[in-house]
Amino acid sequence: MKILFQADCKFLAAWLWTVVSALAISAPADRQTSSQTAVGKTIYEVHCAPCHGVNGKGDGIASALLNPRPRNFTTGIFKFRSTESGSLPTDEDLTATINSGLHGTSMPDWAPFIKGDSLKEVIDYVKTFSPRFQKDKPRPIRVETADPFSASSVASGKKVYAKLQCADCHGTDGAGTGAVAKDFQDEWNFETNAVNLTEPWTFRGGATARDIYVRLRTGVDGTPMPSYAGAVSDKEMWNLANYVVSMARKPAWNMNENELREFYAKLEAQAKADPVQRGKYLVRTIGCAGCHSRYTEDLRIIEGSQLSGGLTFDLYPFGKYVTRNLTSDKETGLGNWTDQEIKRAFTQGISRDGRKFLPFPMPWAALAALKEDDQNAIVAYLRTVPAVSHKIPDPDKPNIFAYVWGKFKMLVLKEQIPTPVYPMKEADDQDKPVSQNPSGAEKNFAVRVDRAKEVRP
Amino acid sequence: MKKILKWVGIVVVCLIVIGFLAFLYLIPPFDLLPREAFSKPHADAVASSLEKIEDPVERSLAQRGQYIMSYSDCSDCHTPQGDQGPNWNEFLAGGAKFELKQYGTSYSRNLTPDGETGLTRRKDEDVKRVLRSGVFHDGRFFPPTTMPWTSFSNMTEEDRHALVVYLRHIKPVKHKVPEWSPMSSDAPYLFFPYDYAEHEKK
Repeated sequence: MKILFQADCKFLAAWLWTVVSALAISAPADRQTSSQTAVGKTIYEVHCAPCHGVNGKGDGIASALLNPRPRNFTTGIFKFRSTESGSLPTDEDLTATINSGLHGTSMPDWAPFIKGDSLKEVIDYVKTFSPRFQKDKPRPIRVETADPFSASSVASGKKVYAKLQCADCHGTDGAGTGAVAKDFQDEWNFETNAVNLTEPWTFRGGATARDIYVRLRTGVDGTPMPSYAGAVSDKEMWNLANYVVSMARKPAWNMNENELREFYAKLEAQAKADPVQRGKYLVRTIGCAGCHSRYTEDLRIIEGSQLSGGLTFDLYPFGKYVTRNLTSDKETGLGNWTDQEIKRAFTQGISRDGRKFLPFPMPWAALAALKEDDQNAIVAYLRTVPAVSHKIPDPDKPNIFAYVWGKFKMLVLKEQIPTPVYPMKEADDQDKPVSQNPSGAEKNFAVRVDRAKEVRP
Repeated sequence: MKKILKWVGIVVVCLIVIGFLAFLYLIPPFDLLPREAFSKPHADAVASSLEKIEDPVERSLAQRGQYIMSYSDCSDCHTPQGDQGPNWNEFLAGGAKFELKQYGTSYSRNLTPDGETGLTRRKDEDVKRVLRSGVFHDGRFFPPTTMPWTSFSNMTEEDRHALVVYLRHIKPVKHKVPEWSPMSSDAPYLFFPYDYAEHEKK
């Protein structure tokens, strides 16, 4: 059975590879119409499905830690369009998004990899996820002649910025920290925030005055950003777009020595003023939730389990360790820990009860490099993580004989010892000792990390 | 006399066996060493001298990147392991082997600025795309189960730039890392488990 399975795998994979390398890279000229959806499907499943999901629901294996989340195609709501508010995007819009990516998100520029006919077929396939594309037609807007960038245009744009109360969300300085812009949620109930208008390199739909004008006129569907068509005149929107262009600050890669020093000092001051925001940034970039979460058997993080722990590491012969619950829950999480205890745990590897962590897989030895302010920021953020009640079993350590025998195998017999990571089952067996729950030992998800054995030329 | 010698021999052998078992039990001395024994070598290796960078802008960016690198713990996977823990002389030279069933075998890459085997071969934009989107310079996607790019993608573009500038200024190490290989030599890469699509239908 296993052999059959593997043979199947190989066959499918070989087929996929042939098709993809033939189409995605060289894009031959003629093809049958009937095979086109299949081609688009294949490219989609290889390149897009890891984030957007096989069924286009935006729930691929890589989706859970991304921010913003990958688009859910099944709702038929698209953010970056050149069509009226609430309307479908044109093929050109989708092409532009795929070609140049969405800046400030994980969507890369696919232009070097998906070209020509392949691109068209992927777009056709993406459009099959939502029934809206069968019923509706995109209603493109007509962009009138631009108001050129000038001091007077910027000045009147500033008035429009005040008139439309942009500052409520984007802030008077455009930094995206307006009073209203807290706990924003988008159409798909994911966290979203007001864009920082001073950083044009993060503008998803482009940073030219025309791009900004189109955003203002069409709105960003699915988010709190509405369309301003009708609210102000066309000329006023152009002026506002020019004003937004004028708000841009210098990016770090163009700064000179002094500017860079001031910039980093400013970042530090901001971090001190708002430690929760800084802690959130650190926790997200370090990726605490990558291990401190529960996984389904197909290696996807279970929605809502982020930071509540539950991934099992089988570190033979040291025992089985389950990642802890980092949420602010009093019973099972960090709610009753003091700040010092939390900091000691993630920088020195000593638990609340004095138990010492192994130097792996928890990277406390590296987190010791965090500055004092940043450590405090992480603690401040962890305090604000909504409580999830999830009891984590204590480490399941082997008895002394098994332990010494394991060491003997490792050090004397030099056996290669795999280090599997088990995704814990979602079922209600989480309170059982880990030894009774070897979920996945026979599965195909074991990750084998083999560090000692290196191949040298 | 002979009897005494025999007993002494037995005791000595027992002591040696017990000593060996105790040695096995205590090695590696994770609980015995002070905690700094683990964090200090890492901090020292990260804190390679950036003072010799002449351009003050590059230096400032590299220092920022150095800090990001220090807590992101790239070296956990990207520094080769010797018998006595990480081989700090080859900081970030790559080579750790990851076998993921269904994904194939991959090796952590050499991140040092070596012209033939390291990151000098890749453009800045390609390195950033890996950190942002998990897509290699040749368009190949890789799962976040090995390298956690889904976390690094939350970094601001400016921090990502600083990190890349730092990587351009560390000590180059010539260390050829094997290319990723699929499940077997003739079968290519699968990006998600084989029964993934089946699971979706349910």
